[in-house]
Amino acid sequence: MFHVIARRSAPVTRLLLAPRGAVLVESVRGRKSRGDPVAKSKEGRIKVPPPVDPKEMVVLKERFTEYQLILRALRLEFKEEVLRKKFEEETGSLAEERARQDAEEHRTLMLWNQEENLRLLKARVLRIQKEEEEAQRTKMEAVMKLELQQDEFIKQKEQQVLQLQEEAKNFITMENLDQRIEEALDHPKNYNFAVDREGRVVRQTVVQ
Amino acid sequence: MPRYELALILKAMQRPETAAALRRTVETLMERGAVVRDLENLGERLLPYKMTKHNQRHSRGSYFLVDFYAAPSILNGLLDHLHRDVDVVRPTVLKKDEQVSTSTTTCCGAPQSKNKSSIFK
Repeated sequence: MFHVIARRSAPVTRLLLAPRGAVLVESVRGRKSRGDPVAKSKEGRIKVPPPVDPKEMVVLKERFTEYQLILRALRLEFKEEVLRKKFEEETGSLAEERARQDAEEHRTLMLWNQEENLRLLKARVLRIQKEEEEAQRTKMEAVMKLELQQDEFIKQKEQQVLQLQEEAKNFITMENLDQRIEEALDHPKNYNFAVDREGRVVRQTVVQ
Repeated sequence: MPRYELALILKAMQRPETAAALRRTVETLMERGAVVRDLENLGERLLPYKMTKHNQRHSRGSYFLVDFYAAPSILNGLLDHLHRDVDVVRPTVLKKDEQVSTSTTTCCGAPQSKNKSSIFK
């Protein structure tokens, strides 16, 4: 049944099924190095393995094989279950349904999005058009206002020039200089005046 | 051209001499390119304080106002000339501001009074 495991899940499967408790240990010599002589207390020592009872050994071995067989079978059963669940999730019958529904939903949502975009585009176009018209109108108004102001200014200046021309008739020239001097000496002007709190104005003053 | 006002205090003299001094002054102005607009006489009166000028002590003087249009560059020379004139007690050139609009509306202030005496107009 597992011949059809997907290509991509091979390394994942290996991680799932790695044996537990495999530890790497480095060999370490104790205090003495390789060439050091053996200690005096250990001179005639012969290393002997622990004694073993054959009958006990046989029984133990049988029991152990049975036990390990059972445990191994259980482990393999559990691993199989895990792999099957994973397989079902990825390529089972329900997975296809779900994938199809997701695609369907995605398609409908994309369509809706497109419609929304169109709607907003239309609204935006209208809005921009209106704003352009507004801007155009305000610009025209500003231009007209400027023109009006310029006309006003010109009119004002013209009026000032005319007034000055009128007043120029009364200026003093070489010809009427003597006459004006005589006139000025004959008519002294008095600009002094007094005012009181009620607003009454007095122009008649004492001439010293 | 900007508009100036020459407030001139002349020595208290007889009429022909005053006329001559005025004529001299106006001619100087016109020589320097000014356009004289008007000449006013404020009368001969007691000076507010005694002024010493050209080794003379003056207690009376005649006040004249000349308003004219001139370039600002002539003013220094003009004042120099007037200071040197023996008949002139004090020349003062002032700039004339634009007239405030003389409308009939009064500024906010005292209300109009009801009783009218002879000296009040």
